[in-house]
Amino acid sequence: MTVSNHDSVISTKDLGEELAKISFDLAKRDNASYAELRLVNTRSEAVTVVNENPASEEASTIGVGIRVLYKDLGWGFADTDELEHDSIRETTKKALALARGASKLGIKVTRASEPAHVDKWATPVKKDPFRVPTETKYEVLQETTKRMKENDVVARRGQMTFDFIEKYFANSEGSKIFQTHSYAGVSAIVAAKGPTGVQRRSVQQNSGGGYELVDEMDLPAQALEITKDVLALTHAPTIGEGKSDIILSGDQVALQVHESCGHPIELDRVLGYEANFAGRSFLQPDQLGKLQYGSEHVNIVMDATLDHGNGLGTFGYDDEGVKAQRKYAVKNGKFVGYLMSRETAPRVGESRSNGCMRAEYYKLPIIRMTNVSLEPGDWDYDEMIEDTRDGYLMVTNYGWSIDQKRYNFQFNTEKGYRIKNGSIGEMVRGPTYAGITPEFWNSCDAIANKKSWVLWGTPNCGKGQPGQTMITGHGASPSRFRNIRVFGAS
Amino acid sequence: MEHPRVLLRERAHQIFTTAKTVAGKAEAEIMLVSRVDEYLRFGNNELAQSQYSTSRNLSVRIASEKKQGRVTTGTLDKASIERTVEKALRQARESPEDPDYLPMPGSQKYRSVDRYSEKTVEAPAELKAGHIGSAIDLAKKNHLLASGVLGTSVEHVMMLNTSGLEASYRGSGGYFSLTMDADNGNQTGYALSTFSDIGELDPNSVSQTALERAKLNKNQADIAPGKFDVVVDPYAWSEMLIFFAVSASTGYSPDLGMRQYKEGRSYLSGRLGEKILGDNISIDDDVYHPNQAGPPFDGEGCQKSKVSLVENGVFRNVVSSRISQHRYGVAPTGHELPLPNPLGELPTNLVIRGKGATKTSEELIGELDKGLLITRFWYVRETEPQTKTVTGMTRDGTFLVENGEIKRPVKNLRFNQSLLELFNKIDAVSEPVRNFSEAQQFRILQPGILARDFNFTSVSPF
Repeated sequence: MTVSNHDSVISTKDLGEELAKISFDLAKRDNASYAELRLVNTRSEAVTVVNENPASEEASTIGVGIRVLYKDLGWGFADTDELEHDSIRETTKKALALARGASKLGIKVTRASEPAHVDKWATPVKKDPFRVPTETKYEVLQETTKRMKENDVVARRGQMTFDFIEKYFANSEGSKIFQTHSYAGVSAIVAAKGPTGVQRRSVQQNSGGGYELVDEMDLPAQALEITKDVLALTHAPTIGEGKSDIILSGDQVALQVHESCGHPIELDRVLGYEANFAGRSFLQPDQLGKLQYGSEHVNIVMDATLDHGNGLGTFGYDDEGVKAQRKYAVKNGKFVGYLMSRETAPRVGESRSNGCMRAEYYKLPIIRMTNVSLEPGDWDYDEMIEDTRDGYLMVTNYGWSIDQKRYNFQFNTEKGYRIKNGSIGEMVRGPTYAGITPEFWNSCDAIANKKSWVLWGTPNCGKGQPGQTMITGHGASPSRFRNIRVFGAS
Repeated sequence: MEHPRVLLRERAHQIFTTAKTVAGKAEAEIMLVSRVDEYLRFGNNELAQSQYSTSRNLSVRIASEKKQGRVTTGTLDKASIERTVEKALRQARESPEDPDYLPMPGSQKYRSVDRYSEKTVEAPAELKAGHIGSAIDLAKKNHLLASGVLGTSVEHVMMLNTSGLEASYRGSGGYFSLTMDADNGNQTGYALSTFSDIGELDPNSVSQTALERAKLNKNQADIAPGKFDVVVDPYAWSEMLIFFAVSASTGYSPDLGMRQYKEGRSYLSGRLGEKILGDNISIDDDVYHPNQAGPPFDGEGCQKSKVSLVENGVFRNVVSSRISQHRYGVAPTGHELPLPNPLGELPTNLVIRGKGATKTSEELIGELDKGLLITRFWYVRETEPQTKTVTGMTRDGTFLVENGEIKRPVKNLRFNQSLLELFNKIDAVSEPVRNFSEAQQFRILQPGILARDFNFTSVSPF
């Protein structure tokens, strides 16, 4: 099924067509060489329980973002939440004025071609979250936090979020695309204080779809597990500094992919457009097809198609009307591809963007990750453990940090276990690993198979100025890395 | 920039009248926020992304029988407002009773703050483009690439509730953030300036600072990690000091509020009266400081008070609210977040200051016998909550200083450093500046420092 916007009295598609015509007529008259319009109608809900305290919030926004290119020399963008015809004309004029100004300090823009698409697309949803009463959501969360209540537990939190987005896109080249996107997020956090200080355990998943994620996650059941863990962590030993083999849980590998592969393959970083904030990249165009980014086991795809899964980076078309695609960023360990836009693709000799421009309607689209995923390997997870003589299993991220070119990283995790002679042993608190990106991925010698592969969601990727937050997907399974620098959190 | 649509008092009252009618016997609160933002963003010596944004946001809180609901919308016609209130009523009905529910506060008196600048509101895009053009010209002359952003924003807020509260605020601000680099980011220099009134901005000074640092930051020397005395530029740690006030251990929830303190959720729970920082460091929450920003009222419209959190190193107070007054009998300080708020209170306007006379950045460097000058920290995250240990990187210019003089650039370093420990080893401070970070929107006035034994643990290849 798909969700219908039973909350809105506006037909986003019809209104979008009407407003696009007004905007494009004006843009053409004023010598814009290209124009695009997005009308985005959003409904969201967040329900939270912290200890015994409830909080819920619903939000709805609707607005238009207009981007124009003036004489192929300068871009301008303006947005408005006023949808009257006069307001659309005024917003188009504002975008044109900025584009004319930018053209004086711009360079000739060459854009990769893209067919004009007239199409529609929708996220598949099994259970419409907006038809589930808020009280039902509270019942799940209250049961979750109730099950975390133990001596020494100092904070208990459960949360679920739902977003439904209707998006109409049109451009002056003839594309007219109507998409509906549905996303769900579910999380629980428990913190406890004991002899080792404050420890945390959490579970979280975000994906495309609806309330079915709440059913799949079964937070009340997981609450018992993570509470048991966190109490054990308040008495668990830390680990000493040294080199060790490590196996990372799938959710931790997903974040590692996001930070050390997803960001450095963003072509706008490489070209210097993010140098002031998000940073640059160590992956240069002259290394395409040459650099051994990882070991031969490492295959990383950029895949926005539904065949890859219903993730936070799954869609029909990106925010400049490019159809969703699947391409390799890393193939058998070799660096082979970037995340691109229509404007940047020609700069590395590509004839087509792979569809990575994304933003909310009131932000200028920039290159963002879609689903950037590590393909499963051929190891059975249990066999990977059995094959490890001495090392650590590290589970679920606590903190993450990486330099602006995405070389030097340090991740600490919530919990770990010593692995000895193929068996999981003693629990350890806050195990941390650090390294340099290409060295790290070249030390990967085992990736768990499809049975352990999950398309994880990252709901809070920051980039751009002013800051933009984007949702991204990352498929991963537990993986092993040899001879890595490890130490305890404190 | 054009004039923002003025949030006329009458318009807010019209909306409120509609909301009250639909709410019936339930309590109602509205918060109306109108914003105009204009940002000119440049990269690679091009003005690449220019954007102009207007938005209005209405947030409605409904409370009935100790149950609460909040719904926000950007659509402000009468039918949409009615639908929004109906949804909030439904949400309140479907919510459990809030154990911390209190009737909405009545009419309040507010100390006025003046942080609205006509100059900023009126600043045309051409003025900003001119400043950027000059920075790009300077970069080109020196074979460097300029990237960054110059932006302004104007905000109007109006709040009303059925107990008779009426609060309003308008403010303006902006920032100029500039990097000059070469050799694919291996040679970089960074500068930042924030302002409430764009007349305060000295764009040439920003450009010159970025240029000088970029020119100096070439052919970085290898360096072994270890403990170094440091001078930290005041703008360098805009992403770091937030960790005094929030903890990752509880899901990035606030620490310095009374509810968190009493419930044991804060990393400082049970430590009031303890000396936690050096004698020469004090931290206030002070929205009235002339260089601070934001409204003088909190998320339920109560007046904010200045609170001394740390005085000469001693942890003296946490911020509080009406809920904490009800729960614990303490005086409220006006630091509630919009309700319902299960996380607790948040100090939103930190002012970190040293004792005695401040020094200039040059004087701080001059007093450093041997150590590192840090011009920017990057990607800071908490690794351990109790000691407030954080990790992160340096970027855009890390310099070896000997005998009070900058000697040479060194490669970027990773650190693992306890903030509590660091703030016990500060020898001198400069005048606090307004922070700014794209990564977090937390208003801090922060000084530059000269400090001992900063713990660097590894080095980047560049």
